[in-house]
Formats: sequence, structure tokens, C-alpha cells
Amino acid sequence: MNKPMLRRVRIILIIAIITFIIFAGRLAYLQVVKHDYYWYRAEKNRYTKITLPATRGEIYDSEGRLLVSNRPGFVVSLMDMGEGYDPETVSYLSEILQIDREEIEEAIEGRLYMRYLPLRLKSDITNETIARISEYRWKLKGVNIDIRPIREYRAGSSAAHVLGFLGEGPVDEATRKRWAEEGYQYNEGDLVGQEGVERTWEPFLRGVDGEQLIEINNMGQPINYLECKEPVPGYDLYLTIDLDLQKAAEESLARRVEYIINKEGNKYAGRASAVILDPNSGAILAMANYPSYDLNTFHEKYQELSEDPRRPLVNSAIQASYPIGSTFKMVTATAALEKGVMSDRDIIRCPGVVRLYGDTKTCYRSTAHGSLNFYRALAVSCNIYFYHAGLRAGIDAVAHYAREYGFGSSTGITDLTGESPGVVASREYKAEVTGGEQWYPAETMSAAIGQSYNSITPLQMANYAAMIANGGTHYRPYLVQKAVDSKGQVAYAAEPEPLRQAQISAKTLGIIREGMRAVTRPRGTAYAYFSRLPVTSAGKTGSAEVHGNLPAHSLFVGYAPYENPQIAMAVIVEHGGIGATGAVPIAAEIMEYYFTGKIEGVNETDDQPPAD
Amino acid sequence: MINRRLIRNFDFYLLLATIALCAAGTFTLYSATHGMEGLPDPLYFVKRQLLFIGVGAALMLLVCFIDYVNFKNWTAYLYVANLILLVLVLVIGEVEKGAMRRIPIGFFDLQPSEIAKVVIIITLACLLAEKEGKLPYFQDLLPALGATALPMVLIFLQPDLGTSLIYLAILLGMLYVAGVQGRHLGLLIGSGLAAAPLFWFFLLEEYQKNRLLAFINPEMDPTGKGWQLLQSIIGIGSGGLLGKGPFNSTQVRLGFLPDHYTDMIFAVFGEEMGYVGAVALLLLYLFLIYRILWIATQAKDQFGALLCCGVAVMFFFQVLVNIGMTISVMPVTGIPLPFMSYGNNALLVNLTSIGLVLNVAMRRHKLQF
Repeated sequence: MNKPMLRRVRIILIIAIITFIIFAGRLAYLQVVKHDYYWYRAEKNRYTKITLPATRGEIYDSEGRLLVSNRPGFVVSLMDMGEGYDPETVSYLSEILQIDREEIEEAIEGRLYMRYLPLRLKSDITNETIARISEYRWKLKGVNIDIRPIREYRAGSSAAHVLGFLGEGPVDEATRKRWAEEGYQYNEGDLVGQEGVERTWEPFLRGVDGEQLIEINNMGQPINYLECKEPVPGYDLYLTIDLDLQKAAEESLARRVEYIINKEGNKYAGRASAVILDPNSGAILAMANYPSYDLNTFHEKYQELSEDPRRPLVNSAIQASYPIGSTFKMVTATAALEKGVMSDRDIIRCPGVVRLYGDTKTCYRSTAHGSLNFYRALAVSCNIYFYHAGLRAGIDAVAHYAREYGFGSSTGITDLTGESPGVVASREYKAEVTGGEQWYPAETMSAAIGQSYNSITPLQMANYAAMIANGGTHYRPYLVQKAVDSKGQVAYAAEPEPLRQAQISAKTLGIIREGMRAVTRPRGTAYAYFSRLPVTSAGKTGSAEVHGNLPAHSLFVGYAPYENPQIAMAVIVEHGGIGATGAVPIAAEIMEYYFTGKIEGVNETDDQPPAD
Repeated sequence: MINRRLIRNFDFYLLLATIALCAAGTFTLYSATHGMEGLPDPLYFVKRQLLFIGVGAALMLLVCFIDYVNFKNWTAYLYVANLILLVLVLVIGEVEKGAMRRIPIGFFDLQPSEIAKVVIIITLACLLAEKEGKLPYFQDLLPALGATALPMVLIFLQPDLGTSLIYLAILLGMLYVAGVQGRHLGLLIGSGLAAAPLFWFFLLEEYQKNRLLAFINPEMDPTGKGWQLLQSIIGIGSGGLLGKGPFNSTQVRLGFLPDHYTDMIFAVFGEEMGYVGAVALLLLYLFLIYRILWIATQAKDQFGALLCCGVAVMFFFQVLVNIGMTISVMPVTGIPLPFMSYGNNALLVNLTSIGLVLNVAMRRHKLQF
């Protein structure tokens, strides 16, 4: 070989050597420098995690009757079979599921890199929809119908406010943090409890999702099932609510409100609430609101419900507060008795109309009750008696004992959110809201009969009745009796929690109870409806005047049996008129149901004078 | 015909390098295909590869027995026969990936475009050897250009861009060694570049354009054209320094790497054997090319030297383009990696080419005492 040719061969060799050095450098970059990155990419190629959703706990009533369960619902999803989404399939699905084509396409666009995961299009489809999809199945590519649990509310519209519902966020940062501390990592889009015990017991009901690690191939088909963390089902909750009693209360509220509207011609009667407590523990046996809503159709009807002027979505039993009229009179009496400015035997004469501190005050329909001691005064709900009692005790004592009975602050319930603290009429409160105006004795008279600034929630009223019944113990009201894990072990059991003992003497409470006993006995304002009860009872009726020219709120608080209280309750019918014809019949029916298991209707005895 | 001198001149280094590459190729092929679904036998590809290594080895030895000088006289026949096959493939060929490349003959499909590689090398060596290392005038190049252009056009019609590029590389490499004038080479390359837009708009198929685009930006469309490239780099990169070990390529097992046993086999090798293995393989190829070029320098005549150089350039170009593609420094052109990629025709042609080089080595002028 000649010299020039040899040189050219060498140059070819040199070019080859240079090329291979460049390749070795490139390989060093890929395999050594960027190894971690590509390793991660290869692993990401390889594995996918599938969440195994935990079964949400079920909710039962105190008798073990199922209130909220999960039923299988059908979910339509679309999967990329490796050739992209089939436009024809998208068209059919858009038509069958009645979703805009653009909406589906947008969802697909957003998931280009997650194409192996099925795209959920619609949850809880009907049987007809399934049938239509099956009809077209030979035209539909990559369409799956999966079964997923859907919350089912067995009690329909019963206890809707207590149970609450699920929804997607928004979850505020504080809640998120609290949940994280409880070991539950909230993800955007998770279904979480929005109201009621679904909300307050969210972390316990939810359980812990499991995870299945899957090795997948390029088509997203599972090749190997690797580690699996089994989901831990949520706790089942057993409520203190007795479904039968709850339903009886709800039906009774509805029946009476409709009666007031249709038969009495009072078109203003609207919302009504009833709360029934166990006075010996604080357990809430029933919490009923009228109107309510059906949790099964809640999501479809949300718009309509939220625009309803009767506000069916609001849990008035804890979220609304009212002037409570004559049902407040036990507070005034307690103040006068405890201060020693009045005894139960002191006689006050009621002329029907009095003029005190420049104000003309009357009893209901200006009835002159004549000479009364405390028991008679409470039985007939004499206003003039309690004006005097209030004036003797003074506003500060009245307000103090109102607070002793738990008014003006939270009852301590933690199983529900959004409780209103209400207001106790007092010198300080007036100064605060009016910018320092002073308190007048005339206002003391109003406050003494539950008017003025007094504003109390139905739950506070029921707790008030319970405290009188049980000797002054304020128990924390609660809804969840126990939580049971999936193995049947009791994970939580409620214990009655006395929050406070009212500083009221046993003697005074005894006098108050005796006075309330007289209310349901002959010549008492509640006798008409309570006479037929198989048990002894005690209570107080009330009609709270409201601003404007609207009918008064109709109220009742009470408990039974008198000697050995098992239930304490409060009933209110907004603008339901006087207590004796609005709230009392409801209370009597609920008590009748509680003690007899049926409602036969209580005969109205006509020989009673109308009273509030 | 065979005497002691010929045996003493037999280049065992080249043979060993070839055997080593065949062994690495077969092993990687086994790793890449043993888990494939739908195979009649998990060893299907390995067995066929071994069979063709056997046939190829026989061809290689057969070629060794005949003094290569005789090929000069047969060049015309070989060339014409090859042209006929190339025309035939257009008429009766089997369609594969939208191109006609194969003629089924019994137990395997004949690929005239592969055979044309070695035929072109012999033809060019024959044409250029007469010039004794001097090509002073442009018309001196014309026979070589024409001889290459004819099969190139036929292959482009199939269409097979990658293989026709190999012919071009062989032509340029051999012209260079044969002593082409710098300005003539420049003119050739310049006119080639000038014709590039013509190619882009009139001759390149859509898939070929897409591959070139994907080369420029593989992440552009990770689910489409760039997919193959991206998965190849992910595989190689994830192998690291020492690799995941034989049979442990997750990219292959889970189907993320298309063409893993043909064009993309280096990605499998790189993932399983790591940087150390990949560099070792590069060194083996470099040694093969070096050895062939060394034999070229020892050849007794221009014809033998040019034969060797043509073979060296052919291997070099294929390694350059194939490995360059898998590590994303070259566009995807669908050129197999010699001795590694599964391919019956390529194996036969590669081993025959080695046979030619061994032949030249055996009959070199070297005084032996």
C-alpha cells in the first residue's frame, strides 16, 4: 500500500476512534451522570399505584337500625386502549350520559400522561343507562362500567341535619391540618362529610385507603400485582338518635305546622324544631327540624333547596336562636328564689293589667289571674307575677341564672357544627350593642318573661329542661353513642360528660320542678294535651312576641316522667301562635310516642282558659 | 489451494472479535426475546440467529478458500444478478412496514438490499483498484458513482432510506481511500446537501420526516414519534454503571421499547450491562474496524485493500448510525447493529464480508520464513 493511501486509512481509523470516544462520553452522561433521573423514569414507567378506597363506615340509630349505608353504584369510565381515545365512542358516550362532548374531550386532554388510568365520566348511572351502553357495546371502545360504593340514606329525609352529606371540598386549611394530625391526608376532590356527623366524624368514618402497587406494561395492562396495603374500613357509628322517635317528632312537627297553616289560617307558621335529650346523660334522642330534605336527592335538588325561603338546609335546632317567651320564667323564678327576694308561697295579685315604670303591662288577653303563689303563677303563666319576681331579683341576677342554665354560650356539642351561642339579655349586652346605653327596669320586666335581647337555641332550651329535671347538671349533648371498627371492636364509647353543675340549690330546683308539674296538670296551660299521657310530666309553655306584626313563636319545654325524668325536650314552631296550641300538641305527641310507642292523638279538653 | 502460509496468515484476531460480537449479540437477543409473547418457542429468535451464524460462518470459510482476486472477474455477474434481485423485490417483494424489502424463499426471506452492500463493495473495489490510488479527473469517479446510484435508486423505491445511506457511506469512504480529489469530494457532498430540500419535499416519506423531527426533539411528543427514542435513552440511562444484569431489562419486559431485538438492541444491552458493558462493546467494534483497516494496509494489492476499507466503512457507518440513534446523537434511520441486531440477511452479509477480509489477510504479501 502506498503512503498517501496508508495515511487516508489512518484518518478513517482516527475518525472511528473519535466517534467512539464521543459515544463513550455520551454514554457516561446518560448512564453515570443522569443515571438517577433515568432510573426514576424507568421505574415510573413500570409501576402504578392504585388506591383501594376504604369502605366508609355505616351509621346506625340507637337501636341498631341502619340509617346510612353504602350501596354499589355504577360508574362509567373511559380508557385509552393504546391507540388514543376513539372519537366515535366519545360521541356515543356524550349522548348516552348527556355530558357535553367538549367536557369529555377536555377531561381527556388533561390526562395525556395518565392514559393508563380509566377516566371517570359519570357516577351512579341508572339501569337504563347501563342498558343503553350495553346496547352499543360493540361500538364503544375502552368503556368500563365499574362498581363503586355510593352513600345511601335509608332514613330518607329523617335526621338529614344530624347525618349530613358528602361533597367535594372546599376544605379550609385549618381542617386540613387537623385531619393531617389525625392521620388522614386529604386530597383535592375527595368526598368528605360536609355537615352533621358525616362532617364531625369524617376521619373515623372514612377509614384508611389501601394501596396496590402494580407493575404495568406500555399498554397500562397490569403485569404483576406487588405490595398491597389493605384498606382499613371506617368505623360504623351508632347514634343516640332513636329513628322511631325521630320520625315521630318529624311527623308531628309537619302535621302540626300544616294544621296551623290550613286549619287555623296562620300562613306565617313555618319552621319548627324539636330536640329531645336524655336528661341523665346529654344524649340527643331526637333532633327534628321542619322542613327538612331528602339526603338521597339532595345533590340534584340543591339549587331548589338553597333558594327555599323556609331554609330547609339549616339545622335550626342548633343554628337558630329565638326569644323564648314564658318558657324563660323558670330562670326568673330561680333568680328570685335563690336571691331570697321571694318565696314560693308569696302571693302576688294579678289584676290583668298593671302600670309599672311608665309601661302598661298585661297578662295574656288581659286576663286577671287574681292572687297567685309561684305554682299557680307558673301553671297559668301569669306575666304580672314574673314581672314582679324579675324586678325583685334584678336584671343581673336574672341574667346570671340564665347563664347558669346554659344560655348565652355553646352547649358544648361537638358532634355538630355551626351551633349558635344565643344571647342572654343583660346590662352588659345592652351596653355592648347600643354603645353604652343604660338598662331600664322596664326592660327587666321584658327580660323576665323571655323577651328583650334573650335569644336561645332549641338545643339550649332542651338542655335547660334537662338541667331542671336532673338537678342542675349540664351534660355535654352528644349524638354518637359508640364507634365500632370493622372487626366489631368498640373503638369509642360515649360516656355522659357533666360539663358543669349549676350553682342553684336543690330546694329551688325542687320548687321549679313542682311549678312545671302544675303546668301539665288541671288548670295548667299544657293540661289540655298532656292530660292523656300515661306518665306524669312537667313543662312550660311559651309564646314569644316577635318584631313586626307576625304571630308569636310557639314554644314548649318539659320533661317526663316527673318523678324519674327519662326525656327532656324543647319544641318551637316559628310564628306558630300561642304555645298551648302550637308547640304543646307536638310535645305531647312526642312524649306519648316515647312512652307508648304510638300516637293516638290527645283529646283536647275544652274547659281550660286559653293561656300562653 | 490451501497451504501452510495461508493458514499462518489467517487473522485469528479478526475471527475472535467476530465470534465475540456474535456471542454478545446472541446472548442479548436471548435476553430481549425469551419473554416475548406469541412465540412458538422462547428460543425461536436465538435458534434462528444461531442457525444463520452457522450458515454465515460456512459462507465465510467458503469465501476464504477462493482467492479474492477471482472476484474481480465475477464482479459484473454479481452486480447484474443483484440488480435483478432488487428489481424483483419491487415486483414480488413482501411488504414490511410500508416498504417492500423481502423475497420469501423457503425458510427465510431474502433481502437483496442487504446483499447489495457486499456486492457494491466488491464492485467499487474492482472499479477503483485500476486507478492505483489516483483519481485526478472527475470523470474518473463516474463509473463508481453510476455503479452505486443504480442500486441506490432501486432501494429508494422500496423505500428504504437507511440502507441506501449505507451505500452512500461505502461509496464516499472508498472514494476517499482510493484517492479522490478533495474538491471532487466537496462537490459531491455539496450537491448532495443542495439536493436535501428536494429529498425532504419530494422523496422522503412522512414517517421518515417524522423520525427526523423526533430526533431533533424526542420529548416533543412522548406518546408518538419520539416515544421510541425516549424509551431507548430511559433504558440505557437507567442501566447505570454496571447495568441491571442480564434478563433484567424492565423496558423490554414491559414492552416500553419497540424494535428491542432489532434496531434497538443496543438499548437493551446498555440497560442490562451498564456503562462498563456498553463501552466494552464499543471497544470490540473499534477493534474490529481497526483490525480490518490494518489488514487493508497489509493487502497485496489495491483491490484487496479497497475491499477491506469498504467493509470497514460499512461496519463503522452502521455502528455509528445505530448506536448514535439509541443514545440520541443520530436520527432514527432503521439501520441494524452488525452482529447484534436480529436479522438473517445482515448476518449472512456481515459474515461473508468478514470472510472477504480474512481472505485478503491470508493472501497478503508478507515474507514468511
